[in-house]
Amino acid sequence: MNTKLKVSEISKIYPGCIANDKVSLEFGSGKIYALLGENGAGKSTLVKILSGVVKPDEGEVFLNNESIKLNSPLDAKKNNIGMVFQHFNLFETLSVFENLSIDSDKKDEELRELVNDILKKYNFKIDLDIPVLNLSAGQKQKVEIIRCLIRNPKVLIMDEPTSVLTEQETDDLFISLKQFSKDGILIIYITHKLKEVLSLCDEVAVMRKGKVVSVSNTIDEKIESLANKMVGENLNTIKKKINNFKNSEEILKISNLNFKSDDPYETNLNNLNLSLKKGECLGIAGISGNGQNELFQILSGEIITEGTSIMFRNKEIGKLNPRERREYLMAFSPEDRISQAAVPELKIYENVALNNFKSSNFFEKGLVNEKKIKEHSKKILSNFSVNTDNVELKSQFLSGGNLQKLIIGRELITSPELLVCFNPTWGLDVGAINYIHETLIQINEQGKSSILISTDNDELLKLSDRICVIYKGKLSKIMNADTVTAEKLGILMGGGSID
Amino acid sequence: MIKVEKRNDISRSIYFLTPVLAIFLTLFGGGIIFFILGFNPIEALKFFFITPISDLYGLSELLVKATPLCLIAIGLSFCFKSNNWNIGAEGQLIFGGIVGGGVALLFYNHDGFYVLPIIILSGAFGGMLFAMIPAILKTYFNTNEILVSLMLVYVAKLLLDYLVVGPWSNPEGFNFPETRQFSESARMPILFDGLRIHAGIFITLITVFLSWLILYKTYLGFQIKVSGLSLKTAKYAGFKGKTMIIIVFMISGACAGLAGVGEITGPIGQLHRNISPDYGFTAIIVAFLGRLNPIGIIFASLIVALTYLGAETAQIFLQVPKYTGQVFQGMILFFLLGSDYLLFFKIKFLGLKKNEL
Repeated sequence: MNTKLKVSEISKIYPGCIANDKVSLEFGSGKIYALLGENGAGKSTLVKILSGVVKPDEGEVFLNNESIKLNSPLDAKKNNIGMVFQHFNLFETLSVFENLSIDSDKKDEELRELVNDILKKYNFKIDLDIPVLNLSAGQKQKVEIIRCLIRNPKVLIMDEPTSVLTEQETDDLFISLKQFSKDGILIIYITHKLKEVLSLCDEVAVMRKGKVVSVSNTIDEKIESLANKMVGENLNTIKKKINNFKNSEEILKISNLNFKSDDPYETNLNNLNLSLKKGECLGIAGISGNGQNELFQILSGEIITEGTSIMFRNKEIGKLNPRERREYLMAFSPEDRISQAAVPELKIYENVALNNFKSSNFFEKGLVNEKKIKEHSKKILSNFSVNTDNVELKSQFLSGGNLQKLIIGRELITSPELLVCFNPTWGLDVGAINYIHETLIQINEQGKSSILISTDNDELLKLSDRICVIYKGKLSKIMNADTVTAEKLGILMGGGSID
Repeated sequence: MIKVEKRNDISRSIYFLTPVLAIFLTLFGGGIIFFILGFNPIEALKFFFITPISDLYGLSELLVKATPLCLIAIGLSFCFKSNNWNIGAEGQLIFGGIVGGGVALLFYNHDGFYVLPIIILSGAFGGMLFAMIPAILKTYFNTNEILVSLMLVYVAKLLLDYLVVGPWSNPEGFNFPETRQFSESARMPILFDGLRIHAGIFITLITVFLSWLILYKTYLGFQIKVSGLSLKTAKYAGFKGKTMIIIVFMISGACAGLAGVGEITGPIGQLHRNISPDYGFTAIIVAFLGRLNPIGIIFASLIVALTYLGAETAQIFLQVPKYTGQVFQGMILFFLLGSDYLLFFKIKFLGLKKNEL
């Protein structure tokens, strides 16, 4: 059974974002293909197109040289394309067998026989008659895989399958996937984990900003080379003038901080240590999903830790919530500017009021001081060159760049001692990126400190005084930015080590 | 080919006009139902919506019904605006009624200006306490507030049943399931002789004003608004989520409790099994019809109150069951949700593309 799958010139445009830009790829059975890219690189959109969840604006999909229409997930099933999503679609309270029989048109006895054959063939050990909620994450994933196998798939797409698995379960999964591949199933493996690509896949396509930037055999690749392809190789040589902070006052110190999440989709943080001097910018690099989100929330106070683990200007702040931390002159700019840093349905001045603490006097004795908030908002709009002067405008009418300027402005207008920002220029145009970069350099020059968590290496090398890398919830050694090279970052981002 | 697209912006006037559209569609739908039942639709609708309020008594009855509906809906708007789904206002109303009624019975044969305020406050307190059960379970044990608040309605109903049949039943009442009539000083003052409209309407109006103040002019109101739009943002801004959930439930419960105590000290004058014709549930419709806006809720409560009255008139003149009122309430909600779809999405009719032929 030879299967050829080809996507040709696929484009999908969402408002304000090109998710897939003329993507063309070819796959053939007998091989395992990796689709590699950062969050937002367009992998998920492409996969959704292949599984019929999203319709492309342009382009075609060919299966064995025949053009196929994938208007719904049902069409994908009809064409024998199976898909295992990162988040499982199982009914927890139903038994394994009931879950499998729901979308099968076979008779129960027939289906049971078929499933038992599959279990035997691939050496899966799952009790078919216990409720799904009693299964481990790895077993649940096997149920999803069996659900696909029942239909004799020609193509099996796995979306970030190891994010909830243990090491042992990951190894088991890889053995199974290799076996499927031998049996002639074409496997497309979506991930941003570089080691997995090298140990499992035969070919790798790297996507960045909606485009396929490289297709190659994995034997020709190394972790560093893939990491560089993912985040962009054109490293800018313009760097901030690096200062020596040896004698400066220490403003933030995190010691032995651990975070263990109840949510399997989150990353645990292990034994974090870092310190930050006055006027310094600390860059934190890494491939997304390695704990950046959790680290940001720990710094902002959305995740609360032990009081002593975070010291800010010699005060224990680990137990304080974001609002209380703002009182100590910390400011935060989250990654998600549309649904977290600001609310699109709120007016500009209402979004400004989110940065509220006692000395801002936005709310006095529990009452809204609208005049004060509006005055303050006007100042932000003009100081940070947001292209409107109407504070009553709903924020949804601001472009990404202007919204980000508003957010950074809101955070900075209170003259904080520390700004923590997470991917501040994600998805912005060049003009806005430059403006934000200049602003971030400026605050360091004014003696204020910043922590820049970013997945953009250009940005980190341009703005940071010191850089470290976060990988699987652990921070690497902190290095002076002038000693850091793209190669070094690449090695660390892929989990390697340097001397 | 038809394409549905999300609208980018919703104009404020359309936002408040769609409820009006929903009401017209309800009238239209009601007309069709009456026609199928063999009535002249215009005549029937006249009996339903005009006759009941064509005299002073009718208007007073309208306000008597709108008073609790508006009060409960205002309270619910605090919960709904902040994404807390309190479905149990009926239970909070009944429990408020039980506590207020208990105090009223305690003060039986007591005279004094202080009696009524104490009863009213204890009713509000009762409703508040009852609403705190789902709130605390939600914040500390992660339960679903919809289920808990709804189930508690039946707890309150059965408790009331037990009390009026058993320990609190009127000793001279020939075993009817009801308590004594409250004494005069425990009753809401009647505003006009011969009409049932009572001072409870002032409580409602004051509550509406206070709610407007809280929702639009205070830090609490701002937190409620932000939490309703994005919980992630609320967390990022450092709002105390748990405290806020408990506060909105307390406000909502207190309003429902006030409505309950207003009913038993107003038109009813005692406790019995049916102190509320499902005001607590109907108020959910009122809250949404009024767009969770205090002024909107006033108008919505008058319209929904009219369906209660209309159902009674229709029963008398057209011999249709009074449950027709609930049919109309259901239709209002149905059409409101329907027109909301048009509010947030626009439907585009596109020509057929070649490749789709």
